Amino acid sequence: MSLSLLIAAAAITIGSRVAALAVLPPPRGPVAALVRRLPAPLFAALAALSLSGNDGSAALPSMLAAVGCAVAVALRWRSLLLILGAGLAGFLAASFIW
Amino acid sequence: MSSAARPARVSVISAAVPVAAAIGVFGVVYGAAAGPVFGTSLTMISSLIVFSGVAQFTMVALVAAGATPVAVLGAVATLALRHLPLGAVLQPVMTAGRARRALVAPFLLDETTGLALTAGERAERAIAVSGGLAYAAWVGGTIVGLAGGTFGSIEPLAAALFPVLFVGLAALTAQSRSDATRAVLAGTASIAFLLLWPAAGALGAIAVAVAVSSVVKAP
Repeated sequence: MSLSLLIAAAAITIGSRVAALAVLPPPRGPVAALVRRLPAPLFAALAALSLSGNDGSAALPSMLAAVGCAVAVALRWRSLLLILGAGLAGFLAASFIW
Repeated sequence: MSSAARPARVSVISAAVPVAAAIGVFGVVYGAAAGPVFGTSLTMISSLIVFSGVAQFTMVALVAAGATPVAVLGAVATLALRHLPLGAVLQPVMTAGRARRALVAPFLLDETTGLALTAGERAERAIAVSGGLAYAAWVGGTIVGLAGGTFGSIEPLAAALFPVLFVGLAALTAQSRSDATRAVLAGTASIAFLLLWPAAGALGAIAVAVAVSSVVKAP
């Protein structure tokens, strides 16, 4: 690893972020309609990604319990802090049991 | 700050702090993993100028495996593609001009995107606040990891925070029954897809979300 390689990697990463937020035009037409529908499925997909290990291994029971409790609370209350709290409670309860 | 803006800002900070704490724990893991591969100085510089956990962990794995610089940059560029849908989702809710958007752009992460979409204040401010906290935690965690610190016992808890956070963000961004249906479909399909093809990673999950959003259009 060299400094020049790191700088190139940073240029790609930060450049793509700047392009996405400040250079590329906002979506229009059918793409805009798709983008309006995207947030909830996008975060659900990222939840699935976070839940699955990078090697495709099964999630820990405590992690599954955390997500299960979060989903249960999310179905009823629209509060991010409450959902985070439920996830924490589920994780701690499962860790205590297993 | 106006009194009307205060509760929303507190809300962003209170949601961003646990996220930043979890990112800090992974910063410790990164510092410990990258130190022997990159050396202390380059590990520190990588966290300061790249600020992307997935890209940095990938670089460590590739360099440790003897990959060429072209292969490393190719992997980083592929991972950077995920910023395009994040930016597309955020642009319609941003009110600042291009210069201010460019200033906060280095803080464009999955987590800050979600917090900006669900915050009750201007998206660019939410990104700056949550991204600034995440950046400080990531760099601080890297320093601790390089110094030999560990958070072994709470790493599983930090790892569990991310899917819980994304469940919450999916719930908060679901404005209708059809949004909820798409979220459930995308989550389920992503799990199945990633179990079949783990290497698809973040781009695979985002592709599933885009596919579901394209196909399931109406309530």
